[in-house]
Amino acid sequence: MRHVRHSSPLLVALLALALIAAACGGGGGSKAASNQGSNSNVPTGGTLVAGWEQEPDCVDWIGSCSGSSYGYWAANVTTMPRTYNVVKKGTSWGYAPSNLLTGEADLKTSPNQVVTYHINPQAKWSDGQPITAHDFKYLWDQIVNGSDIYDTTGYVNIQSVDDSNPAAPVVTFKTPYADWKSLFGGQYGLYPSHLLEGKDRDKETANGYTWSGGPWMMPPGGWQKGSQLTLVPNPNYWGTKPKLDKIVYKFITDTSAEFQAFKSGEVQLIYPQPQPDAVDQIKAGIAGSNSFYTPDTGNLEALWFNNGKAPFNDPKVREAWGYVLDRAAIVDRLFGPLGVKAPMNTINPTIVRDYADPNAWSQYKPDSSKVNQLMTSAGWTKGSDGVWAKGGQKFTAELQSTTGNKRRELTEQIIQQQLQAAGFPMTIKEDKSGDLFGSILPKGDFQVALYAQVLTSFSPSNCNIFCSANIPVAPKFSGQNWQRVNDPTNVDPLLTKVDSSLDESVRMDSNKKADPVLASTDVALPLDPLPDVLLWGKKLAGPVGDNPVMGPMWNSNLWGIGK
Amino acid sequence: MPSYVARRLAYSIPVLLIASFLLFAFVRATFDPTARLRASRDPHAVERERVRLGLDKPIVVQYKDWLVKFGQGDWGESSRTHDRVAPMIRSALWNTIQLILWGILVSAVFAIGIGIYSAVRQYSLADYVLTSASFIGLAMPPFWFGLIAIAFLAVGPKNWFHLSNPPLFFVGLHSVQSTGILDYPRHLVLPVLTLTVQIVASWSRYERASMLDAINADYVRAAKAKGLSPRQVIFKHAFRNALIPLVTVMALDVGLLFGGLVVTEQIFSVPGMGKLFIDSLVQGDANVLVVWTVVTAAFVIIFNLLADVAYGALDPRIRLA
Repeated sequence: MRHVRHSSPLLVALLALALIAAACGGGGGSKAASNQGSNSNVPTGGTLVAGWEQEPDCVDWIGSCSGSSYGYWAANVTTMPRTYNVVKKGTSWGYAPSNLLTGEADLKTSPNQVVTYHINPQAKWSDGQPITAHDFKYLWDQIVNGSDIYDTTGYVNIQSVDDSNPAAPVVTFKTPYADWKSLFGGQYGLYPSHLLEGKDRDKETANGYTWSGGPWMMPPGGWQKGSQLTLVPNPNYWGTKPKLDKIVYKFITDTSAEFQAFKSGEVQLIYPQPQPDAVDQIKAGIAGSNSFYTPDTGNLEALWFNNGKAPFNDPKVREAWGYVLDRAAIVDRLFGPLGVKAPMNTINPTIVRDYADPNAWSQYKPDSSKVNQLMTSAGWTKGSDGVWAKGGQKFTAELQSTTGNKRRELTEQIIQQQLQAAGFPMTIKEDKSGDLFGSILPKGDFQVALYAQVLTSFSPSNCNIFCSANIPVAPKFSGQNWQRVNDPTNVDPLLTKVDSSLDESVRMDSNKKADPVLASTDVALPLDPLPDVLLWGKKLAGPVGDNPVMGPMWNSNLWGIGK
Repeated sequence: MPSYVARRLAYSIPVLLIASFLLFAFVRATFDPTARLRASRDPHAVERERVRLGLDKPIVVQYKDWLVKFGQGDWGESSRTHDRVAPMIRSALWNTIQLILWGILVSAVFAIGIGIYSAVRQYSLADYVLTSASFIGLAMPPFWFGLIAIAFLAVGPKNWFHLSNPPLFFVGLHSVQSTGILDYPRHLVLPVLTLTVQIVASWSRYERASMLDAINADYVRAAKAKGLSPRQVIFKHAFRNALIPLVTVMALDVGLLFGGLVVTEQIFSVPGMGKLFIDSLVQGDANVLVVWTVVTAAFVIIFNLLADVAYGALDPRIRLA
């Protein structure tokens, strides 16, 4: 599943219930924190105050008002039970059953796809009621029959949920759904049907909710809108119980103020977006703090060409830009101080590297002879002023992006300078996020745009953005193939297979093959992975780290505050 | 007087109606509240939400629906958060009022004091210093001043003196765990300082100018000639008359402040009216924005009215009709 990164990373959170289950699953390796083991050596008690850049609009996670990644990281992954988590497996990431299940679900692929989950008999809600198959059925029913649902994908493929055995829900699909491990979890999580059935779910959660199926829960009045959200330990959690007395997320939307709050000790943990201010502050050093930054994320920032509009409807022009832009210099300028210097050479974010050809775009390096060759063969000539022209028309292009994002402003300026020097004058236009993603891109009213695609589940799902069937058309302009990539012969079959095959090796292979096909005509030019940045005070003890999908709080039940 | 007030309030109704309709139409035309659903893989998500929010109806019908409900006391629901608009506005207003109340109090005391002192000591060294400071204050962007204030009055002292907590807080209006009776004032100092620096600079210039006019007026010369003490001359005769222009400016500024603390609220994480406006504007939440406009406009109208009424109190020669 893919999201567009608006002003922030829109990642999905998959619940942190794997903390214990992961003991028999993945984890470990590299710098990412492990959620394994106990927290017996961690101090008990204390309050962790985290500076949080965004407040969720609502905590009805399946509602149309949801979608804030900071909301998911803060409250969804910590309170909602789910079937699978995304965990580190060696050097890669992948799904692992959470402690809601006793182990892997049973998958039957024919004649219909049928998934049978086995619920951990210890799994229960914060009121002591068991988590049952009926909770699965309730979630499915709410999603497919609800009126204000954020995303029904995958759930509409389901034909039935059999809850006759409370401990083993059986989910039968009408049509195959490859990313089935993101269901009954993913960006949603299970709801307690015994508390919500027959009620207005959206209204019941309007001011937060006090039930939980995770290590943390919201106390009554725990969400003070606009100010802070508080979590306390769930006394009935069946996994490792939190050591901290409380976590308080303070909403600080100004990045500079957020850093000052961290420096002053008003907050002990921040998870800022990788803006130039943040990078500069980290580079300068912050006394008494630990930091973690990684390019291992579900984000991919790129130049997205409108393949259906001049001049980028000509693949040679798109390729020429690939040989003009020094992407390594751009990435180094943006994130060099964080150790991130290499550009992305695949259209897939780094965490799905097993599905990617990491060198698909590697040929695109500054090469003026290639540029001349491509442009000349496309009928362009360079004028005495050094600007390319065709049929008496000088080359012009407009790069569009979101307003108010300093990192993107800096990126645009560097790109503009590099292109100008190569004879490609380019103007910059910044639009409000809602306008760009709500109207301009779907309607195709752009030439080239700079934004980030963000994975919201552990599946590449490139068909969403590159299959010809998903090109938006009037009057509804539905579909996310805003670049108007139209290659039913080569691209569509490969990417369709990724979404529909239930054989993981087939999915990986097809997606890997699609990468060089897309690169051959440079449908988009990948730039950087938007590194995740996490800073925390030295008093915070435990395996603090980042999970690129579930966020930094995924294992906060293992943390403590030192004296 | 009552008929004057009633008439002024009646005039304001069409103004509010026109303003609310224009804003409603503007927001609907320029912002798409379903934009965030474009990120959903679900191709029907946008259409479902458009129908749910009534966006498939003509704009006039949408506005009429909203207005009828508003007239019945139903201020509607935020398309962004699904919360009722009335409690959202109430909560934001209370936070903003706290800042305004303290800000106005501090500003008035300092601006009037500086204005009087500068006028009485015209062209003295102190007058030059205060005048220069006023111009610096006027030129100081609040977002910059706020961050500088945080760095030098909160974070800096904490590090310089190795304190366990900064002397002044700057996240919200209360600490997670109260630090005692001074917790609230310690949160208020920096946002109020940021809010007041431009206001004090501006108002003190008005006060100085009107005090100079008053000091050089014939009736003040007459009072001096009668042998009254300088204190009596200034505070009994000049000051009261010099207040009238300042009261006008103060009333207008206070009314506008109810919707205009965007930067201060953003930097100090205060969930007030300014922050509510920005959050709603960014996501095209017309239901909140229109009520926000009506409430803000109502405050502007009320404070204009208060200014007119205050004239009468300050100068018995002025009668409202």
